[in-house]
Order: sequence, then C-alpha cells, then structure tokens
Amino acid sequence: MLVLTRKAGESVIIGDDVVVTVLEARGDVIRIGIEAPRDVQVHREEVYRELQAANREAASPDEAAVQALADSLRPAAKPD
Amino acid sequence: MSTSTASRLIGATMTDAWLDMPTIDMASPMAGFPAHRQFVLVRLNEQGLLYAFTSTQDPNIRFLVAPPEPFFPDYAPEIENDVLAALNTKDADRLLVMVVITAGVEETSANLLAPIIVDRDSRRAMQVILQDSGLPVRAIMRRMA
Repeated sequence: MLVLTRKAGESVIIGDDVVVTVLEARGDVIRIGIEAPRDVQVHREEVYRELQAANREAASPDEAAVQALADSLRPAAKPD
Repeated sequence: MSTSTASRLIGATMTDAWLDMPTIDMASPMAGFPAHRQFVLVRLNEQGLLYAFTSTQDPNIRFLVAPPEPFFPDYAPEIENDVLAALNTKDADRLLVMVVITAGVEETSANLLAPIIVDRDSRRAMQVILQDSGLPVRAIMRRMA
C-alpha cells in the first residue's frame, strides 16, 4: 500500500481525474472530499462490500423459489 | 385463458410501463458484477409484481426485482442529480424504481438500501446506494396471500 502524509487542505490525485482532499482531521476522525468523474462511483467500503455480498446472494435464485415467489405475490388490495 | 375482470386492473399502469422494455444498459455495473453491463427485464408473474433482471452476457446471472410500492408503500427514495446525469435522464417522471429481491427458502427479502433506478427513455439503469439513509439491505417482504 502506498502511504502518503497529507495535512488538512492537501490532496492526492489518483490517475488523471480523481482528487482526494483531506478536509479536516479531528482525533481519529478524518473528513475527506472526493472529486471523481460521474462514472466512478465512490462509497464507504463497508457499505459497498455489504452490497456486493447481498447482490451475489440474490443473483442466481433457485428456480423453485422463484416460482413459489411469483405464485405467492398478489396485489395488496383488490377492488370489489 | 385470460377472462379479464375489473380486479385485474390493479397495477395495470405499472405493468404496461414495464412491458415493452427490451435491453437495459447499466450506467455503472451492479456491485459484485463488474462484467455485466446489459440486462433484460422479463415479467415473471401475472400481476407484474415480480420481474427477472437477467444479464445478456450470462443468463445464469439473474436478479429478481420488484416494484416497491405494493410491498413498501412508504418507500420513497430520493434520487440525486448525479444519478440523473449518469442515466441521461431528461424527465424524472420517466424513472422506475425496482428493488432487488433475495428469494430464500425461509424468508424473502428486498434490498431497500440500493434500488435499481431505470430511465425508461434512455434505457439506462444503475443500482444506487442511498447514502446515509439507514435503509436495510435485507428488508423482510411479507407475502401477500
């Protein structure tokens, strides 16, 4: 892992167009700002990892479970 | 075989809106599936409450998705402007929200934290993490028997 020391207000640039700026350091909490092109998604790692895991779990459902679910779903209410 | 009755009309608007949607390009890939950039949406049940969102590269990669309204009536995700830009959205009224379903033996859950947002005009979609919303990745779906 590349390790750099930066002060508040200083930045690092990743590739040509991703800029990470240290905004504030207070105790063990660091606030950072990220400027990136819109096709580069930026997320808190633990949130993204959880989403990856949830997507992998959801991605290839068992055919029997799919059929049972499709059959069980009904509109919440029906008119008379 | 369809003897159409008035009771079938519930959800008809949603169904019609979703029917003629062939392929959808991902503005950014689904988390965990970086290679899959194009999906097709196929309706799985008569009432339009369940759809398959299947990778065109590999049909084994298939997500179950559903419109959230019938299951989570209070769910109203706020879509940020950068998402609209990524989807080339001209008219926000043309956006559809779908939640990803995990069909389990014991229980079925819906991912409310990261819905898939689809622009019906540009036919682009992306899974959006609703930052700081506190919404669950696995919200239990009640079966409407």
